[in-house]
Amino acid sequence: MKYARIAVKNVLRNKFRTIMTVAGITFALIAFLAVRTVVTSWEGAVDYAAKDRLGTRHKVTFVMQLPRKYVDDIRNVPGVKAATWANWFGAKNPNNEKEFFANMAVDVPTFLEVYDEIKLDPDEIAAWKSNKRGAIIGDVLARKFGWKVGQKITLMGTIFPGDWEFEISGIYQATARSVDRSSLFFHWEYLNDSLRPEDKDHVGWVASRVDDPKKVPQIAKTIDKMFDERDTQTVTMSEKAMQQSFLGMFSTILKALNVVSVVILLIMMLIIGNTIAMGVRERTNEYGMMRAIGFQPGHIAGFVLGESAFVGLLGGAIGLGLGVMFVNFGIGAFLEENMGGMFPFFRVAPVTAMIAVGGAVVLGAVAGLLPATRAARLDVVQSIRKIG
Amino acid sequence: MSDTTTTADTKADSREEGVYRGTVEQKAIIRLVKVGRTYWRGKEKIEVLKDLDLTINEGAFEALMGPSGSGKSTLLNLIAGLDSPNAGTITVGGVDLTGMSDAQRARWRSNNVGFVFQTYNLLPVLTALQNVELPLLLTRLSASERKKRAQTALRIVGLEDRMSHYPRQLSGGQEQRVTIARAIVSDPKIIVADEPTGDLDRENANEILNLLERLNNEFKKTIVMVTHDPAAAERAHHQRHLDKGKLT
Repeated sequence: MKYARIAVKNVLRNKFRTIMTVAGITFALIAFLAVRTVVTSWEGAVDYAAKDRLGTRHKVTFVMQLPRKYVDDIRNVPGVKAATWANWFGAKNPNNEKEFFANMAVDVPTFLEVYDEIKLDPDEIAAWKSNKRGAIIGDVLARKFGWKVGQKITLMGTIFPGDWEFEISGIYQATARSVDRSSLFFHWEYLNDSLRPEDKDHVGWVASRVDDPKKVPQIAKTIDKMFDERDTQTVTMSEKAMQQSFLGMFSTILKALNVVSVVILLIMMLIIGNTIAMGVRERTNEYGMMRAIGFQPGHIAGFVLGESAFVGLLGGAIGLGLGVMFVNFGIGAFLEENMGGMFPFFRVAPVTAMIAVGGAVVLGAVAGLLPATRAARLDVVQSIRKIG
Repeated sequence: MSDTTTTADTKADSREEGVYRGTVEQKAIIRLVKVGRTYWRGKEKIEVLKDLDLTINEGAFEALMGPSGSGKSTLLNLIAGLDSPNAGTITVGGVDLTGMSDAQRARWRSNNVGFVFQTYNLLPVLTALQNVELPLLLTRLSASERKKRAQTALRIVGLEDRMSHYPRQLSGGQEQRVTIARAIVSDPKIIVADEPTGDLDRENANEILNLLERLNNEFKKTIVMVTHDPAAAERAHHQRHLDKGKLT
């Protein structure tokens, strides 16, 4: 500790340079935290998926629909506890067309059995069930549009054209991050009744709960096999696998983001290395004097490494503080509200925070290696000569 | 293993070493035998010192003079254990420095030599007290003991009221006195001073020379001083002149 004072005081010697360096590290760390949080949040959405829930869709594409009667067949598969269905509705709020939010027609009697992470007051559930035009919305969506329980709203249909009137029966909250809190769910009958006879009784996908998560692969196989010989074949997978296949479409972006985060750390290292190298060059005579009075090369290297690690720690701590505020309360709040399906929980993960600060300190020290080696190898006589 | 010489011996070597004051028996603390130091500038060989013999007695105050490039600083660096010779042997305080590694010489320097440089070379981020304490960081002394010793050293050089001042808050003479306090804080036997008054006006130079004389007289420090200034050299007990790597 008796040597630490010198390393710390050297950091504060050229305050302007130190401030600029720390600012550089801070911005680099904020960028690192934001990029890493995109990756962890995206990947985390997979981890939040319910392990005992299956999704069954048309074998060709999500866009094609399944016969409604498939739901009953799935319910009869051993191991399936409950099954429900939904159709993507894709309507917009005419008062705010640019604001995207998920809206789906669901089978109200069974929906909350399969998605029990969605929490509503019993009165609101009863109101929803009894009102064919009733809809429930997530608390984030309610806040965004200022919608309240009992309010009548009109949505503008896109896949199913026309004006669609709803009454808000309840505002749900979620007990798990697997649920998007900015969605709207309404009665499937309301949609089905409005369709032409040939379009009726089709569902977008079937979601089912199983009694044992370990049986998920086997049950998925059983379901798909059951429909193999029919006109419409299916693909069944766990909710997690579904998320992963969705994520797979963005794997290149995720890889690019990972590379970007490493590049950011390397830039940070170069910023520190450059600052330390400048300081060492300026202090050649002082290190020469210290070597003269008996300090060993290891001491000198230690001072330089301590200094660079301290700069890293300083920048890391400030960067983490500001970065957490920026990510959690800035872009995080925005993304959770506006892209809750993709980023249900956009917060800096503890492991990301540790990597950021630890990385800043370690990379700071690594950045100081070259200048430290040079300082330690200084020829005493030559350095002393520079004094004169 | 210190050598012992008498005034008679000293007189016998008077052409190289000059004549000491007094007639008491004196111990040699620094002894250089057939020392050579060569540098290479590209392919050019520069022989700075050649076959140099020198004995300095304990408690001496010696001035090394000579024109630029005569080898004064090289000789001082060899005596201080900062550099090692290409030929010959150097014994200081009975210790042969010639065969020592860099690390061993660094350890030896921290215990046996105090340095005073022309441009003070204090660490600007440390106070006068902290600068003086610097050599003691290499010891196992407690923080309070280090502080006590540094305060004592600063009192000796008359800067007890400037302990918490930073170098930028001190005059040139005061900075050099801090350097001297740093040189004596670990109680070394030898002080080497390279142009200690080179950057000072006459008044401050005299104060520094008075201080060096006091360290020599009262604290029995052996002082080897390189200087261009004849007035500074006059204050030494003995002057040696170097020219083209040889003592004249």
